[in-house]
Amino acid sequence: MRGDQAVAGHFQKPGQSTLFPATAVLADDGSLKVFQQNTEHLLYECAAEDYHFASIIPGLPVELELTDGGIFRPDDASFRWPQQAAHFRLAAWLESNRLSILSAVILAPLALWLLVTVAMPAMASAMVPFVPDQVRQQMGQQTFYALQKTILQPSTLSEEQQEELQALWQEALHSLELTYDGYQLHFYQSTFLGANAFALPDGTVVMTDALVELLKNKPDALLAILLHEIGHVEEQHSMRLVAQSLGAALVFGVFFGDAEALSELILGAGSGMLQNAFSRDMEREADQFAYTSLVAMGRSPEAFAEAMAVFAEQHGDSGQSEQLLKYLSTHPATAERIEEARKAAQLYQQTQPVK
Amino acid sequence: MESSTSPIIEQSRHAQVEFSGKAGEFFGIWIVNILLSILTLGIYSAWAKVRTNQYFYGHTRIEDQPFRYLAKPLQILKGRLIAVALFASYFILSAVAPIAGLLMALGLMFLMPFLIVLSMRFSMRMTSYRNVRFDFHGSYADAFINFLLLPILSIFTLYLLMPWVLKRIDQYLHSNISYGGKRLQVNNDAGTYYAAVLIIMAVVTGVIMTAVILGFVIAFLFPFSFGAEWAMVLVFGIILLYWLILMLSGAIYKCMIRNHLFSRTVLPDTASFASKMQVMPYLWLTVSNLLAILCTFGLAYPWARVRKTAYLANATSLTLQPGIDQLVDTVQQQTAAFGEEAAGLFDVDISLA
Repeated sequence: MRGDQAVAGHFQKPGQSTLFPATAVLADDGSLKVFQQNTEHLLYECAAEDYHFASIIPGLPVELELTDGGIFRPDDASFRWPQQAAHFRLAAWLESNRLSILSAVILAPLALWLLVTVAMPAMASAMVPFVPDQVRQQMGQQTFYALQKTILQPSTLSEEQQEELQALWQEALHSLELTYDGYQLHFYQSTFLGANAFALPDGTVVMTDALVELLKNKPDALLAILLHEIGHVEEQHSMRLVAQSLGAALVFGVFFGDAEALSELILGAGSGMLQNAFSRDMEREADQFAYTSLVAMGRSPEAFAEAMAVFAEQHGDSGQSEQLLKYLSTHPATAERIEEARKAAQLYQQTQPVK
Repeated sequence: MESSTSPIIEQSRHAQVEFSGKAGEFFGIWIVNILLSILTLGIYSAWAKVRTNQYFYGHTRIEDQPFRYLAKPLQILKGRLIAVALFASYFILSAVAPIAGLLMALGLMFLMPFLIVLSMRFSMRMTSYRNVRFDFHGSYADAFINFLLLPILSIFTLYLLMPWVLKRIDQYLHSNISYGGKRLQVNNDAGTYYAAVLIIMAVVTGVIMTAVILGFVIAFLFPFSFGAEWAMVLVFGIILLYWLILMLSGAIYKCMIRNHLFSRTVLPDTASFASKMQVMPYLWLTVSNLLAILCTFGLAYPWARVRKTAYLANATSLTLQPGIDQLVDTVQQQTAAFGEEAAGLFDVDISLA
């Protein structure tokens, strides 16, 4: 058999289970000959383009796959065909090289973290402006309808009270440069929500009677909360949250989809916590929007701190439980929000002419 | 074929399924593939899946002959893109227009049996042993009845029919598999499925009773120390108990049903099967695997998977007839005649994982 390399292994003809102990010989021109072991009988013969090398998997022999369906498998699992092009070895090399494995152990969690916390929010923000207005209107209307049927009851606020707040609301809408013009303020009573306010993507903002009651002597604090809600709408937080949650769900599905059933429970909790993290970031953005808008309206961001302080007092927040529940919460800790608002207020003070 | 059955019975031979994968080796494949998948925003995950399957198939041997995974990465990628598109449109639709989302959920429900048929057919056709491919012949109509219609109907019988439905599902999934032109014959009986469910109910009741009695004993021994911490301990204990019950029921069901199913399955003139899973070792395996994965933040996943595969292989053996040595691949002849592209159109596994 001249100087050609002879490789011992087993051969199977196309689509047949019969196994022949055989020797494969690759000539310099790439042509393949397979001989039956012992008898030296020629079992198969083909040119270089009629077979290819199977992918290299650590710990397994590399088969020759014949175009017509035959297989030659070397007996030695560690044997690698010298004729196989170098780039086919790359994957297997990375998978068995200690240094690349170690770097993957360090880089994989890091890359996953960056993908989820940086790349996905960036992609979501980039995509959201392309969402047509009809979609946000539909989304807002359907959600509003569902809420009216379930947790919202008609307001019991007096008409003067409502008109007063509507005036404040109109003042805000007129004095700010808003990109969207579908804003509407509604009042409802809700035992489920308590003292609260929320915004829907179509610009519908709802304030509960309990909240108005709680802050009735602090119009600036109420304004601060309205501005926070406008911030959610302006920055299209609902759509971004949908896009980011979708991204997170896909990442978990693709990377951990075949994990064992019970780890899925934990992954479910993980994606829930991630969604809360997205939500906390958006609350911070809306807070920021409220500070700058307050300044634009000639009021101090202190008003926002005031509103938060009233909340904290009402809920009897203790610092410790907030620390523990940080990752389970959709909103940043109240103490943190008060502090941020005070910082913004200080900046505002410094820019004011001394009276 | 008929004439050759009688004289060869004494030539049948026993064969053990062997798995030679190593946790350390697979760890490298796994972690490098995860990194590459993340860096390519998920595209490489198709290549990762093929390599992973090639590793596990190639290390699974019967009579020193490995299984082979034949799917190409682009086929997997195509299936994933379709799955991502379906999932994303459903996700967005149910967020933006919940009513339309509900309608789509209904549509997806009807699509589900079809996806199961496609997935089964794909994974069977992509599996080869001794250079002979598997195939799956289940129809959509039967999948619709077994996966959708009967489970829904069984709700109206307060799930009394469910074990019988599970038996039918197993029968559908396995008796439609063919290898070398021969169909698996599956003769599983509903009695074993009912027995499994009854045993699980009895064991779960026993575990809960024991836990409650234990709880009372502890409360009786330390009556003074009830407080906020005890509420936490109680909640933690209940979660732990819930998990234990879930894993225990899973282990009992899997062991009983797999052993039963294998003993009642025959590939005519070719092979019969035996599975010898045991509940307690298997329970320990699943519990310790889960704990290891949790404690290492997922890094023990390759070890756990290799360990589980090795256990299942070890519990499985076959009795082979000499016919196994002269099988001819019918799938290959069929697809060659059908033309590569046409056969490939529905050769797709629409799944995210």
